[in-house]
Amino acid sequence: MTWILPEGASLTFEGLAEPVHIRRGLGSGSQGQVMEVEVAGERLALKWYFPACISRDPHLERRLGEAIRATAPSASFLWPIALLRPTPATQARLRSRHSGFGYLMGLRPPDFAGAVEHVAGRLELSLRSALLACLHLADAFHALHSKGLCYKDISLGNLFLEPGSGRILICDNDNVDVDGRDLGSVLGTPGFMAPEILLGRARPGAASDLHALAVLIFRLLTRSDPFRGRLELAIRCLDEPARRRLYGEDPVFIFDPLDHRNRPDPEQHAAALVTWPIYPAELQALFVQSFGPGLKDPARRALTGQWQQALAQTLDQRQLCPDCGQENFRCAAGATAAGTGTARGPQACWHCGAALPPPLRLQLPRGEVVAAAGTTLHRHHFDVLHPPQGDAPLAELVAHPSDPTVLGLRNLGEGPWRAVLERGGELEIAPGRSVNVAALAQVRTPLGPITPQRRCPPSPM
Amino acid sequence: MPSFPNVRLASRPLHFIYLCDCSGSMAAQGKMQALNQAIRQSLPEMARVARENPEARVLVRAVRFADRAHWHIATPTPVEALQWQDLQAGGVTAMGEALDLLAAQLASPPMEERALPPVLVLISDGQPTDDFEASLARLMGLPWAQKAVRLAIALGHDADLEVLQQFIGPEPGSDRAPGGLPAGEVPGASGEMPRHAVGGAAAGSRSPRRPLQASNATALAQYIQWASTAVVGAASMPASRVGGGAGIDANIPLPDLPPTLLDPVDDIGPVVW
Repeated sequence: MTWILPEGASLTFEGLAEPVHIRRGLGSGSQGQVMEVEVAGERLALKWYFPACISRDPHLERRLGEAIRATAPSASFLWPIALLRPTPATQARLRSRHSGFGYLMGLRPPDFAGAVEHVAGRLELSLRSALLACLHLADAFHALHSKGLCYKDISLGNLFLEPGSGRILICDNDNVDVDGRDLGSVLGTPGFMAPEILLGRARPGAASDLHALAVLIFRLLTRSDPFRGRLELAIRCLDEPARRRLYGEDPVFIFDPLDHRNRPDPEQHAAALVTWPIYPAELQALFVQSFGPGLKDPARRALTGQWQQALAQTLDQRQLCPDCGQENFRCAAGATAAGTGTARGPQACWHCGAALPPPLRLQLPRGEVVAAAGTTLHRHHFDVLHPPQGDAPLAELVAHPSDPTVLGLRNLGEGPWRAVLERGGELEIAPGRSVNVAALAQVRTPLGPITPQRRCPPSPM
Repeated sequence: MPSFPNVRLASRPLHFIYLCDCSGSMAAQGKMQALNQAIRQSLPEMARVARENPEARVLVRAVRFADRAHWHIATPTPVEALQWQDLQAGGVTAMGEALDLLAAQLASPPMEERALPPVLVLISDGQPTDDFEASLARLMGLPWAQKAVRLAIALGHDADLEVLQQFIGPEPGSDRAPGGLPAGEVPGASGEMPRHAVGGAAAGSRSPRRPLQASNATALAQYIQWASTAVVGAASMPASRVGGGAGIDANIPLPDLPPTLLDPVDDIGPVVW
């Protein structure tokens, strides 16, 4: 591989006091090359553009400068830090005749894997992590759109996730633009592009981001493509005109309640048929909405806030099957904050078919959460004004280290809790300590109370 | 331990087939060795691209042609399992027969009912010595050949660029100004010196819809790398699209050619031949 910026060199750039030491090439893509560099003792990544990319996208430098000034909307973005233009001395050392530029950003930590690894089935992660990643994604786009910006080209290729925690990193933030201004030439990635963009009827912006976001969430949750069902089977050679038909001219959601033409094929699209029924109706409804009326009418696509709500509520319903240990999200409904009003009957585990017992629920100032090991409580469970977010947990349900059937509530906050016990008496639960949920009448936290709901006679101690 | 359901995205096969000229002239100036090296070196990156494209199962084959044409790798082989055996040079240039072998494999069956567009890469340093045109006509009668991404790499200055352009087909929607070369005519084919592909020609004059002219080992390696990674990526999983770009009417929009990087050795002219 020939690197435009020579490995091992120390190069100076306009407006940057410190020289940039080029450590090694990390990768080469269609737009440019990414190098690992060191600036003032800090390891960073440097993306350097190919001349063809710069000439194709005349506003790239301006957009980057503005993104840098706007600063990252959230910690989920690997955002540009500084724009680098070569000094004459550096230009002479570049392995390219054309003058160019690049930008500095943080290095992607090694524990983050490409989202494509998950879709390919090569990543071990839980359904909870997948849902959390989607919640982080919806939150990141909420923050981006709230700044008046749009991303334009989100796809599996620029999303990375940490399998254990579900944390995400969104890379390649160089198409980010002020929504509606359209200082850019990128259209998006087929399969993620909204139909109106693919057909050339509109330019990418926040509305088409919402389509791409829905596709990405669907792909992360089902390892399937929302538009590849039986209609795909009729296509022998999946080339550009075929993709245009499938995603632009006549897109049909594989689970569209009215149009059954594109149902998944039991053999070719088994992943969709296995995963879709796992998710609660409230979450499914957002896909039906975005991939039904929302296909033709961008104003009807599910909004980032709706995704945050539905994903957070799905996580709140998480129940572990007592037989196989798998995660279930469609427990018999109680009076949830979602308040659908319709109580569902007892559910069977999607994995082993065992009947799921009525779960123990925790009443919180805002809604109810099913008590299941691994589930976390966050600020939005206590504070009505706080949007649902998957980071900074305040409490976690944990299995007892020596007896996994004993479920505890761990204090992840900074202040102590007061635990009121069922048998009477009170205890202080210091940060980092856990209290047996079965022994609890209530926990009083600085943000509000947590109360186990025991409908039937309380389970024996 | 709860885990995501053990399911994965359905994939389609992507057949990638090299057609390698092994005529006697390939023995000169280390061209055969350079091609063997270029393909062998390209495999790890190709495997990486294949991994990143779960919608595709990248399967590689190769035909070699000299006095006769043979399958060098007959079994469609997953790229990560591929070991490149060196090609040997010697004989004439049975390019037409190579296309016949290819045609037999692109018929349905043995082609799968559903696949991604195949990628065919023809590499030659000379002129066919058999009935190339009749074989090409037979090949192009097949739907999978028409749908295929067809690339050609001209090695050195003696390659028959017109023949290679016929294999690629006419350049669709030529982006040149009116009065430019008519479709099918190739710059450099009529006495003009072929351009020095890497570090030589101006960026705008190169197109993947024309034969890629590799006049040294570095250029050859870059083109092989480009075909086996960027093109495989484009044919298997769609990449970002840019408005106003060429090739909207194309079956598969081809990625940019590798940029003309300045390598110190390039400035002193061809080293290997």
